[in-house]
Amino acid sequence: MATQAAFMPGSKVQTETFWGTVWSWLTTVDHKRIGILYGTSAFIFFLVGGIEALIMRLQLARPDNTLVGAERFNELFTMHGTTMIFLGVMPLSAAFFNYMIPLMIGARDVAFPRLNALSYWIFLSGALFLNSSWLFGLAPDGGWFGYANLTSSQFSPRHTIDFWMLGLQILGVSSMLAGFNFLVTIINMRAPGMTLMRMPVFVWMSFVTQFLLVLAFPAITVGLILLMFDRFFGTLFYAPAAGGDPLLWQHLFWIFGHPEVYILILPAMGIVSEVLPTFARKPLFGAPVVIYSGIMIGFFGFGVWSHHMFAVGMGPVADSAFSITTMLIAVPTGVKILNWIGTLWGGTIRFRTPLYFALGFIAMFTMGGLSGVMHASPPVDLQQTDSYFVVAHFHYVLFGGSIFGLFGGIYYWWPKITGKLLDERLGLWHFWLMMIGFNVTFFPQHYLGLIGMPRRIYTYAPDLGWNFWNLVSTIGSFLIAVSLLFFIANVVRTMRSGQVAGSDPWDARTLEWAIPSPPPVYNFARVPHVHDRDDFWLQKHGDGHGSAPRPKPAPVTAAEIAAIHMPSTSYWPLLLALAMTVMISGLMISMYQVIVGGLLTLYLMYKFAMELHRPAEGHGH
Amino acid sequence: MADHAATHAVHDPNIGNTGLDNRKMGMWAFLGSDCMFFGSLIGTYLAYKGKSISGPGPHDVFDIPLTSYSAALLLASSLTMVLALSHLQHNRVKSAARWLLVTALLGAHFVGNQVYEFTTFALHHGLTLSTSLFGSSFFVLTGFHGAHVTGGVIWLLILVGLAWRGQIDARDYTKVEIAGLYWHFVDIVWIAIFTVIYLIP
Amino acid sequence: MANQHAAAATTHGDGGGHATVRTYINVAIMLAIITAVEVATLYVPGIPNWLLVSGLLVMSAIKFFLVVGFFMHLRYDHPILRALFVGPLIIAIAIIMAVMALFSAFLLLPRHVL
Repeated sequence: MATQAAFMPGSKVQTETFWGTVWSWLTTVDHKRIGILYGTSAFIFFLVGGIEALIMRLQLARPDNTLVGAERFNELFTMHGTTMIFLGVMPLSAAFFNYMIPLMIGARDVAFPRLNALSYWIFLSGALFLNSSWLFGLAPDGGWFGYANLTSSQFSPRHTIDFWMLGLQILGVSSMLAGFNFLVTIINMRAPGMTLMRMPVFVWMSFVTQFLLVLAFPAITVGLILLMFDRFFGTLFYAPAAGGDPLLWQHLFWIFGHPEVYILILPAMGIVSEVLPTFARKPLFGAPVVIYSGIMIGFFGFGVWSHHMFAVGMGPVADSAFSITTMLIAVPTGVKILNWIGTLWGGTIRFRTPLYFALGFIAMFTMGGLSGVMHASPPVDLQQTDSYFVVAHFHYVLFGGSIFGLFGGIYYWWPKITGKLLDERLGLWHFWLMMIGFNVTFFPQHYLGLIGMPRRIYTYAPDLGWNFWNLVSTIGSFLIAVSLLFFIANVVRTMRSGQVAGSDPWDARTLEWAIPSPPPVYNFARVPHVHDRDDFWLQKHGDGHGSAPRPKPAPVTAAEIAAIHMPSTSYWPLLLALAMTVMISGLMISMYQVIVGGLLTLYLMYKFAMELHRPAEGHGH
Repeated sequence: MADHAATHAVHDPNIGNTGLDNRKMGMWAFLGSDCMFFGSLIGTYLAYKGKSISGPGPHDVFDIPLTSYSAALLLASSLTMVLALSHLQHNRVKSAARWLLVTALLGAHFVGNQVYEFTTFALHHGLTLSTSLFGSSFFVLTGFHGAHVTGGVIWLLILVGLAWRGQIDARDYTKVEIAGLYWHFVDIVWIAIFTVIYLIP
Repeated sequence: MANQHAAAATTHGDGGGHATVRTYINVAIMLAIITAVEVATLYVPGIPNWLLVSGLLVMSAIKFFLVVGFFMHLRYDHPILRALFVGPLIIAIAIIMAVMALFSAFLLLPRHVL
């Protein structure tokens, strides 16, 4: 039964008590609050993954080191990768999807607000379930990509792989539900006049990302189901002795895994496409071309997956086919980079922290892209694969790319979300220390890979010539950690005494800057009518061709605001997420738990669906 | 069209700027995603076809007449589903409920046949999940399809119950329509499975 | 209010028309006939493999599109819904075929059984 939250738009939420506040966050269906929940959780898990990385770097700082042993090291690289990808970058992107997409398209919320909350609580349950493995001494240790048949019950008899396998299934449900939600939101909830081509590029990149989410996750869902059946029910999918092929896992995994890396990078590309025009005071150069390039990357991203498998012996035909598609996909990416540079060219540049991170993105992502294109050639990749060269490549695109882009988004949109501006000086300290630290950590790894250092080793002999650059890399990683301290200090200081931002501190271009900071719960007092891309900018500054500015609309009345109906809070998403986690985790504990969890899930799905059925007539009979 | 849709938005918050209902659009997006899910399972089956090293093969165990009968059941259930919707559109709730019930029963009969088929394979032919690649891939693929059908049957029965208690009428057309879309999807997946797994040698 | 919603229910999303009960029954009859032909094809003596397989694929594709177009109403619906379904369907089929090729499992060519 939905509690009719006593909420009058325009007034403060009446939650004076601490527990009242907690309850309001647990039952929120407001996309802005859900965005904050995602962002906060993601940052915490980013730090967890960072600590896992620092321990690994400490272990590798010297040859024959004994800080952690081989088993623990396997757990660390498995959890570092899984955490950073699924609990770090993806939810951080989700934070921006949640907060910004409705604002940028002129909507009051997403298409399915309760489903949105459900996605978050399922994510959090999955994240906690996965990390609970540490407490049981059963952290996953098969790599973030879990290759068969190392993951079989024969070679991984303990529950470590089960935590990973079931944790990913839970997280997958969360991602897919969110994908459906944002797809429908972007297609169907745009303000009048907001045609698809007038949408901000961040919304477009996010749109493509949602398609990738809902089309790629089913493949890994199936791969994980096959693994689950092998481990729990004795099927033979990945059993070589019965004719099963471990490569089936690799194919299913990478059919997901390659689109996944575009899921990781496209939102950051979208952020950069918003930040650059704002701080260059120029429209995005060739915005339609950037949009089409994003669409092409998304679509053709489904055709390159076996470039992760050049060393498994697929044969020359398969190798060549995937090599060609991989080289082709570099083209739209390169086009975007040129368009970003074209945006800056001739612009009036204002150097602020968000712009620094966007520029860092362009430089670092380009470097990562270049090493990636090298991998596209199978003979070259045969030397590079499974070496630190690959580690360098993907950290350049995922950290130098995604993380830098996401931090750019954090600095850019912080004033909109909190009403306060982050401190510029601390921001620049963060940026420069992170930039230097990042390059000191990962640039030497290109070299280490090429002189023969393999991935996923917990130690190395002292006479291989790897000692010096490993030490340098470790020092770099601690510089990154220090840079994050500056970020945290910035956040703490700003929350206490930061400069008030106002609605449009950057003189920006898109709709979210037209409303107060932070926005009221209903976002727009009056749904905007959009006439062009960057409509807000045109309203403020005209189109530069001397046409008369649009007449100012009549001020919003209290009656208009009172007529806005926002959805009520609901506790069903939280309960349903818990029930699903009980059910799925039961697969490795006991069938009774699965059955009880399953029945509870079905019951709660029914209650969730019935909550809004015939609301005007009171609760359903 | 945008203004027309904007007017409707005032009346029905589920209708968006395309004039379409959010929930219908969401269901189609889900069905697109489910194509990838079943595509991966079918791809797995086809990758392993003919590669089992022991155990009975497909044409040792398949009962084509029974399976054809099951396929006909599902096709018929798609017809009864659209008939139910047609009645609902004209607010003939009791008739709609009856046709929904028939649809659910046809689906349940399908699942029953499948249970019979699975137990026959296991007990008479010695084909289980762990017998061979064929056993593994066949049972997982058709089992997940059967689970989808079962979920659909439960959904339909809930709708029947709500209709009998007067809690559904023509206003809920979209809600029943999306149940129908799900149901038809389950039918077309079976069309694919029936042909590719059972019929093609 | 109920009438308005009922009226809305019949017009929303029904872009270019609406199938009648007559149409549905015709489609159902066609589906039954095609299924019968499919099964009968299996028993045609001496039919070459390539003809059998391609015939079955074509017939099942027709059934597929009959259900999607008429029962699921996609023929009459907004093009966006068509795109939301057909796009993923094409990607799924392409991936099935790629996986089959990668595992040397072509349907139309004779396979080497272990």
